[in-house]
Amino acid sequence: MLVFAISDKGGTGRSVTGTNIAYRHALQGNDVCYLDFDFGSPTAGAIFSVSAVARGTRENGLHEYLRGDCPQPRRVDVWAESDREGLRTRPPGAGRLMLLPGSEGGGELSALTEEVVGRCVQLFGRLEEEFDLCMVDVSAGRSFTAELVLAATVRMPAVPFRWLVFHRWTRQHIIAADGLVTGTDGLFDVGTRFGHDPEVLRDRIRFVRTAVLEPDAAELVGLRDEQRAWLSACDSELRELAGRHGVGRTTMLGKVPLDPVLQWREQLITDEDVLASKIANVETAAAFDDLAKKIVDDNAWEGL
Amino acid sequence: MLVIGEVHTGLLQNSGEISEPACRQVLGLMSGETVRVSRRPIVHALSPERLTGVDCALPAASGSRIRGVGTVVSRCAVTGGRVAQGSSYVRVARSETDRRLSWSHYLARPGVVEVLGKAKAADIAEGFAGDGAPRGHGCLDLTAITGRFLDLVQTSPLLNRRAPFRMPRTILRWVAETGEPSIGFTLHTEQERSLRLTHPGPFTPAVVDLCEDLAMHDWLLTSLLVVVERARVGATPAAEVAARLSPAVDHLLHLWMPAARVEERLTPFWESLERRPGFSRQWRSLVDRVRDQVAVHTLALLSANAETGGR
Ligand SMILES: Nc1ncnc2c1ncn2[C@@H]1O[C@H](COP(=O)(O)OP(=O)(O)OP(=O)(O)O)[C@@H](O)[C@H]1O
Ligand SMILES: [Mg+2]
Repeated sequence: MLVFAISDKGGTGRSVTGTNIAYRHALQGNDVCYLDFDFGSPTAGAIFSVSAVARGTRENGLHEYLRGDCPQPRRVDVWAESDREGLRTRPPGAGRLMLLPGSEGGGELSALTEEVVGRCVQLFGRLEEEFDLCMVDVSAGRSFTAELVLAATVRMPAVPFRWLVFHRWTRQHIIAADGLVTGTDGLFDVGTRFGHDPEVLRDRIRFVRTAVLEPDAAELVGLRDEQRAWLSACDSELRELAGRHGVGRTTMLGKVPLDPVLQWREQLITDEDVLASKIANVETAAAFDDLAKKIVDDNAWEGL
Repeated sequence: MLVIGEVHTGLLQNSGEISEPACRQVLGLMSGETVRVSRRPIVHALSPERLTGVDCALPAASGSRIRGVGTVVSRCAVTGGRVAQGSSYVRVARSETDRRLSWSHYLARPGVVEVLGKAKAADIAEGFAGDGAPRGHGCLDLTAITGRFLDLVQTSPLLNRRAPFRMPRTILRWVAETGEPSIGFTLHTEQERSLRLTHPGPFTPAVVDLCEDLAMHDWLLTSLLVVVERARVGATPAAEVAARLSPAVDHLLHLWMPAARVEERLTPFWESLERRPGFSRQWRSLVDRVRDQVAVHTLALLSANAETGGR
């Protein structure tokens, strides 16, 4: 299964949520690889706490591979190379967790050539042979990278793929997420141009809400009644707006609560963070765990 | 001088094994030439051979620059309708001259790469198959060539891509020379292996068959080890263990047929590997373990059924 992570805006939580889903999926016993296709700022290494590739790799990064400058992209075994004590040994029963970092200082893709698409097809094809899940961070907004992925997947019709569109729970983000999917030069538009069946594509896109503050969250306990009432009204307004924009409950795969740890630092939330040091919220880890199950659960992806 | 080659092996990207006619279609990469099929003791289909022209540096442990010009022979195979392989090799020979000749010269010698200038066979052998061999840019890249051939099979539109489990490909690099018979098999990384072979008499394509046969069995063994490890015997409930082992039972266990396609003259090499490291011994003990686990689970189910039935 190929899963593409995209968002309209930058800074939505796409990378942090995508990496945490990949991590949880590996903990659930699956072989997982994470591809950092955010060529402009490949920072997945930092989230996995692999300092050697914190801002991408100097040699054999994905960008270099796609340009044809190296025969195979570098792979980083997170269980072996992470600097975080709690990540450096593979937990019993966990699958492989492999990071394919971007190139340090690689820059955005500047054009979409036949050769680049061919290499991308080869890469996806081989990884899919080997891993249960390949999570690809496609970067924010309309980009050559998103087009590349759409062009590549149309050439591998038998290889299953899905899209996750990340957005925050605000007016602007809801409207923008819808636009990224259904607007001009959005996923449907470009996908159909490249030869995807729009109906099929629609069934393969789901939304994920990030850093959501529920009106009944513990963080809000100290609020005045007026504030709580106002938040509640906002929330139902947003729900109504999301429904109108096709970003509502039926197309939502899941949501991740706002977590203090993630607000301060981009990192994986381990069970240790939740149970031992208790710095992260149980609900956050549970949300990632739930998403990690749902990305491969066909019931969650039934036609709408 | 010597022959170097690579074999890549992987699980055919299809939900079930494919039939003999399907093998023929998948491997019929070139029209006009036929796929060779042998049926006993296991269906084995071999594609026609293809050539790739090369003019590049050859691997050298010493780091010296050795230029080679000629062609690489590649082919694909499917065994038991279930295991796919890509395979390439070149015979490295000294050139009569120090300059590059016309392509017609090289095309008349398919599978031969001629070395322009001086080179030592041992240097090339070590550079190619040695541990951590430095493979610089612009060097003969049999890995890329062979990988693409295996891709041709795995991306065939005749396959549904719903393989019963995920498994990495393995890469076997081999070096064959004429001399006093000896064989050495080395595991490098999880996916990379090397084979050094010295055979009496001149090189024949039967040596390639032997390497492909070894590569396939090494992949089977590697894969079964992975499946058993994933099943976590003892740490997971018996039903789950049995469920995780079942793809191996369904798709791998019946494929073990060492030396089935190896020429009589070369079977002593297999026998030597059977003594050490002992491929079949390890395979049998793993198979027993798998069968025991599945049997234990079946018995548990039967007695549970008997109990509920008796009540
Ligand atoms: N559930 C959450 N709770 C609190 N903060 C979060 C949560 N998810 C993400 N964040 C924070 O939001 C910021 C942006 O997240 P992230 O870097 O993952 O976004 P992105 O969409 O990948 O951004 P970019 O487009 O710049 O790559 C980070 O500081 C991150 O730690
Ligand atoms: Mg990011």
